[in-house]
Amino acid sequence: MIVVEKLVKSYNTNRVLHGVDHSQRRGEAVVLIGPSGCGKSTFLRCLNQLEIADAGRITIGDVTVVGGGPPRSAEERERQRCLRLRAGMVFQSFNLFPHLTVLQNISEAPRVVKGLSRSQAEAAAGVLLAKVGLENKADAYPAQLSGGQQQRVAIARALAMEPEVMLFDEPTSALDPELRDEVLRVMRQLAEEGMTMIVVTHEMQFARDMADMILFFEGGRVLECGSPEQIFTAPIHERTREFLRSATTR
Amino acid sequence: MSNAVRLSRGTLSFLVFVLLLASRPTPGFCADQLQTILSRGELLWGADAEGGAPYVYPDPQKPEQLVGFEFDLANALAAHLGVKAKMVQNQWDQLLPALDRGNFDVILNGLEITDDNRQHAAMSRPYYIYAQQIVTRTDTAGPSNLDGLKGKTVGVLASSGAQRLLQRFGGVDVKSYPGNVESFLDLKARRIDVVVLDLPIALYYAKPDPALKFSGEPFSPGYYGIAVRKEDVTLLAAINNALEQFIRDGTLERIYRRHGLWDERQAALANYQPDTVVQRKSISTLREWPRYLPLLLRGAVTTVELSLLGMALAVVIGMVVVLARLYGPAPVRWLAQAYVEVVRGTPLLIQLFLIYYGLPQIGLRLNAFLAGILGLGLNYAASEAENYRAGIQSIPKGQTEAALALGMTRGQILRRIVLPQALRVVIPPVTNDFIAMFKDSSIVSVITMVELTKVYGELATSTYDYIGLGLMTAGIYFALSYPASIFAGRLEKRLAYDRR
Repeated sequence: MIVVEKLVKSYNTNRVLHGVDHSQRRGEAVVLIGPSGCGKSTFLRCLNQLEIADAGRITIGDVTVVGGGPPRSAEERERQRCLRLRAGMVFQSFNLFPHLTVLQNISEAPRVVKGLSRSQAEAAAGVLLAKVGLENKADAYPAQLSGGQQQRVAIARALAMEPEVMLFDEPTSALDPELRDEVLRVMRQLAEEGMTMIVVTHEMQFARDMADMILFFEGGRVLECGSPEQIFTAPIHERTREFLRSATTR
Repeated sequence: MSNAVRLSRGTLSFLVFVLLLASRPTPGFCADQLQTILSRGELLWGADAEGGAPYVYPDPQKPEQLVGFEFDLANALAAHLGVKAKMVQNQWDQLLPALDRGNFDVILNGLEITDDNRQHAAMSRPYYIYAQQIVTRTDTAGPSNLDGLKGKTVGVLASSGAQRLLQRFGGVDVKSYPGNVESFLDLKARRIDVVVLDLPIALYYAKPDPALKFSGEPFSPGYYGIAVRKEDVTLLAAINNALEQFIRDGTLERIYRRHGLWDERQAALANYQPDTVVQRKSISTLREWPRYLPLLLRGAVTTVELSLLGMALAVVIGMVVVLARLYGPAPVRWLAQAYVEVVRGTPLLIQLFLIYYGLPQIGLRLNAFLAGILGLGLNYAASEAENYRAGIQSIPKGQTEAALALGMTRGQILRRIVLPQALRVVIPPVTNDFIAMFKDSSIVSVITMVELTKVYGELATSTYDYIGLGLMTAGIYFALSYPASIFAGRLEKRLAYDRR
């Protein structure tokens, strides 16, 4: 389903990804953990081309993009867009469109990108809103919602494009603790329904409960990977152990 | 003046009173201006040297040095009084108000001896007898007398004898110019049919130009006199004395011959008998507003048209420029940036001159209205482009990333996500520019457009009621611009999506 080979990314002289490999089957939930600045967010952003890798290959479903620079031809640009359409992205800071209502936020891309009619798109958006428990907020503007509600709308918005993979970039980091649960609940539900997911998070409980596989990032490399059982109870590396100790006692 | 005070009540009358006090020059209270001149050792004479040939103008060979027949006359006059002459530069159609303000002692600059002018100043005996001359293009058979001007578009100097003559005559499309050079440029650009002006100017500017010719004989003769403030009686007597002597001893003839201006008409100077001036009541335009307000409002219509169309152009071109600057390929980006820098870094006045007088020289002739709109539009486009750029760049990067992640193309993101949000950010600065353009549009009067400020200027110089007309004009500007701010405020509120 997802295959990443030898992904390399630098900002100027600072190399943040040192040839990362990863593969993941359909329906698996993978959680990326690691200290800040270790490259896990960059890895995620490379997957849907918000960052362009310097080298390496990314395959999601039937689309493969090779790193090396921004797309140069119309064909490459189209391939990049196809890859993005395979993956839905949820951001730390929600990034809802403030000038659109909740319903419009969700139905905008299906209309513009997929060419759905307004009624089709809004009907689908209504179903997704119900799924994230916000069916009564359809006509609200983002500024009228709490952070947790905004992030649930953002998840619905990503789901509206019917992606094969959902990418979560620290989805609860900007939220007060009491608002995190409502977002995590939606994510659990998605995982249980068999959505293929990659989650960058500091929520160790979520990682432990929901992950099929955990990748521990350190210094732009995957230092260790395995089942939650193995990572949390018998980590191989000393660095992993240290990180988990500080992360769980925080 | 006193009318204005009596007319107003309460604070307004107090305000007007203070304004009057502030605008009243101290020399007005001085009993004997001649004494002041003698003790100062300088005769200050007001004139306009810009396009002022052959009266007084910078020597083409030595531009820091003034020349002209009036320059020579002023020197002779000062020498007669035993002082030095010093010219004070002042826009021609504002010479009388400036004299009244005390900026100089006399006006010596082709000022006609008319009842109108004698309402505002005391005029000396004439020092030159001028006549009106029709000038046309060499390749056309123009009208050769006053009757032939009916139905023609005629260029004149603003506030000149020719302007008054033709406006009283009627049936002539009169275009007034701030200086002498511009009317001939427009004549050659075929925007106007003929120019009518004082013979001395025609002799200097049109005679040597092979593209222009005199049409018919000079007509409608009149006198140039030296103007002094009415209360400066001894100064006036001294000037009349001097002029009489210059006429008798041939000083005047020598000066005029040197400048090629002597003709047999001037012999009549010696026999001048002043006629009595009919004293006219001073005018309060506020009291007679039903007569003056419609004239101002007609100017305001032009102002509104200019600023609405100019702004529409600016808004559209500004959008093209900012898109080119932010999203175009490198050379296009540089061009857009250069456009903004050059237009922003040069005066609107120069840009208007280039468009109106410069473009015809490369074959593109626009009428004053179109040139005005184009000038205002192109100028403000640079400012709008910067407003848009600030607005677009104020939209967080996360918005674009979220839209990219949803599979939208760059164009879709710009249209549906970035621009709608930027719109609200740019409403206040664009409204501000729109209101500024309302006021800036007055500058197009330099290319013969008669808009609100121009009408104000023309009425004020003929009625002398700067305050009454000024209050009315300011009121009209405000009445036009205030609704624009209200509308913008409403629009901003309507688009306020971040209300809670």
